[in-house]
Parts: sequence; structure tokens; C-alpha cells
Amino acid sequence: MASVKELRLRIKSVGNIKQITRAMEMVASTKLRRFQDRAVSSRPYAEEIAGLVQGLAAVLGPEALDRPLFNVGSGEKICVLLVSSDRGLCGAYNTNLFSELERWLVVQKSAGVEEQDIDFFVYGRKGFQYLSKRGLNVETFLVEPPLESIDFSQAAATSNRLVEAFLSGAYKRVELLYTSFETMVRYVPRVVPFLPVEDQASEGDQEDSGGASDVILEPDAETIFDSLIPRYLEVRIFNALLESLTSEYASRRASMKAATDAATDMQGALKGQYNRLRQESITMELLDLVGGVEALK
Amino acid sequence: MAQELTLRVITPEKVLIDTTATSVQVPATDGSMGVFPRHAAMIAALGPGHLTFNDGKQSHDLFVAGGFAEVHDNTLRILTPAGEEPSEIDEERAKEAEVRARARLKPSRTDMTADEARIDIARANAALHRALMRLKVKGHAR
Repeated sequence: MASVKELRLRIKSVGNIKQITRAMEMVASTKLRRFQDRAVSSRPYAEEIAGLVQGLAAVLGPEALDRPLFNVGSGEKICVLLVSSDRGLCGAYNTNLFSELERWLVVQKSAGVEEQDIDFFVYGRKGFQYLSKRGLNVETFLVEPPLESIDFSQAAATSNRLVEAFLSGAYKRVELLYTSFETMVRYVPRVVPFLPVEDQASEGDQEDSGGASDVILEPDAETIFDSLIPRYLEVRIFNALLESLTSEYASRRASMKAATDAATDMQGALKGQYNRLRQESITMELLDLVGGVEALK
Repeated sequence: MAQELTLRVITPEKVLIDTTATSVQVPATDGSMGVFPRHAAMIAALGPGHLTFNDGKQSHDLFVAGGFAEVHDNTLRILTPAGEEPSEIDEERAKEAEVRARARLKPSRTDMTADEARIDIARANAALHRALMRLKVKGHAR
């Protein structure tokens, strides 16, 4: 059984931890709100771009899909952009991401793709550390700028790098592994195909093939389409990054809240123990005194 | 009352402008293009350049860094990676960018392959164009 003094020290240190976790919870909530706002305000642009892609794909018809970015690449390897966090203390955020990665690797293996044939582009130090420890190929670790201060032009630069890597013929596919933000308490790691683009654009064929055909196109559909697709890909990367960041902070806030609550509980329990022990020792002293006085009589 | 169309300038960060206008000039890749109310449905690719619109009282200037213009149901939507009002344009930075781009266009560099040089020249040209357009929009507003 701990002594009164030890207990007092422990109560104090739990209190300190509680202060820190509470502060971190506040910081995480503020950042969460900021990234959420950004995600919301980027939505109109993303929707418009996706709408244009669908409309134009409908105008151009099936031959639109016969472009380098729409066909499986000539390479043997697969490229993955992994979006993780730079810092820990965010609950199961990274762990969930990595177990999704492991699941995906197993699926790839059963499809005949070995681990050496997968190259990674990584956001976030945690992801880089994990991949290095696992012995997987890290092609590029995207450190500059840090993920947190990402803006659209940097997301666009990353997208262009991926597109260049794909067009260079080294890869047959490019995939995104990020955490999609569904609600405040639900964020799911997910692998989505990034390149080739076939899937998303062909959805548009059925949707509005009627209305879009009598649109004036300046200079012409092909040119617009060619410059539209990179924009579309940029938006997808930007969204994936924003969603991951939002998820990270939602996860961090939740785990810091749990930590603060746990500290409060522990403080309560320790305080109870401390009071009981203190009372016990006072009673003992009193008994000693009374016993001493009795003996002197 | 003059006829109006809805103008929305949308960037990835936010909806920059959502207003009505009596006329808009957009920097299409083939040159500046006027859009008036009840324009036919259209999709146009934009280059970096100078967007002007008249909201019925006065005309406004804006720099757009390329993108697309879509006209549909009397609404003109400009999708651009970046849009800046004249007051937001950093004149110093644009001038520096202009100087840098001009330096890169000097044919003195031999440390690159032909392919690299071609890409580099294209990039420098684009950067120069952007810088000049920013300065133009800035100058126009004064």
C-alpha cells in the first residue's frame, strides 16, 4: 500500500497530465473546426469540376477514354500515396490506417503483386516510420511543407508528381490510401484508385448525355478535357488530404477527451484512497495518544 | 432594368464571388471573351489573366490563374485554382517572379537536356505570363 506522501504526489502528477490532455483536446477541436470549414468551402469547386468532367465525357463519348491517363499504365509496379499523420497521440488513427494497408497488401499478394513491386509516396512522419520499419519501398517522403499547412497549390503539385510518375510508364496503377471523414465519430481508412481515371468518368455517360451535347466549347472539347483532367485529379488529392487531416484531428480530440476523462476518474479514485489513508493514520495516532495517556494513569 | 446574369467565381479554398453582373470579360485561352446575359450554354478553358465584370454600377477587376468558365442557365461559373482581387495582389512578389522568369528564359543555360530545357522554358513562360497578368490587373485597378 502506497504511503500518504506517495499518494499525494501521484494525485498531483495525474492532475498535471489532465491539464495537458485538456489543453491538447482544445487545440485539436480548434484545428478540427478549421479543417472542416476548409473541407466544406472546397466542396463547390470539387463538385463543379466533377460535373464538368462528366458533362464533357458525355460529349466526347467513348473515344474520350482512350488517353494515357485513362488506360492502365505500361509499368509492372503499383504506386500508393499514403496519407498518415506527422504526430502521434491521435488514438487509433494511424493504427487503423496501417491495418487497412496490411489488408490491402494481402489482397495484392493474392492477386500476384509482391510487396517489392509497390512504391509509396508518403505524407506524415508516422507513415514513413512504419513503412521503413516494415521494409517497404518509400519512393518519396513528402515532408515539405508539413501536411498541416497544406494548401491547394501544394496538393496540386503532389498530384502532378503522381501523374508524371504514372505517365513515365513505371506504374500500372496509382492508388490513394487515406482516411475518409464520414462523421465526427466515424472516419474510415480507405484505398481508392487514383489513376487510371476510367471509373469515375464513365459514370457520367449515362447521367447527362442529353443536355450537354449542344454546349459551345471553347476552344474544343478535347483541349478542355485535356486541361480539365489534371484539375480534377488535383481536387481529388486536395480532398483526400483535407479529409485525412479532419479525421486526424477528430481522432485526436476524441482520444484526448478520453484521456482527460480517465485522468479525472483516476484523480477521484486516488483522492478517495488518500483521504481514507490520511484518516486512518490520524485515528492511529489518536489511539496511540489515548493508549499512552491510559498507560500513565 | 438591364438584364443580368449570375457570376460565381469558385476556387478550391472558397467561393470568391457570388454576384449578378451585366457583363463579364473572361480570359479564354484564345483571347478575351465577353459574356453577356442570356449567353448560350458554353464551356471554355481559361488562361491566366484578367477578368472584368460590371455589376451594373461599376466594373471590377480580378486576376484568375487559369481554369474554366461554364455558362449554363444564365449563370457564369468560373472555376479557377486561384483568384485574386487587385488589393490582394502582391506587386513586389509579382515583379520578382517576372524578373526570375525572364532570367530563366535567357538562352545561356547548358546544364539541361533538350527535353528538360523545353519543359523549363514552357514553365518559365507560364510563370512570366502569370506575373505580367497580375501586374496588369493591379495596374488596371489604380
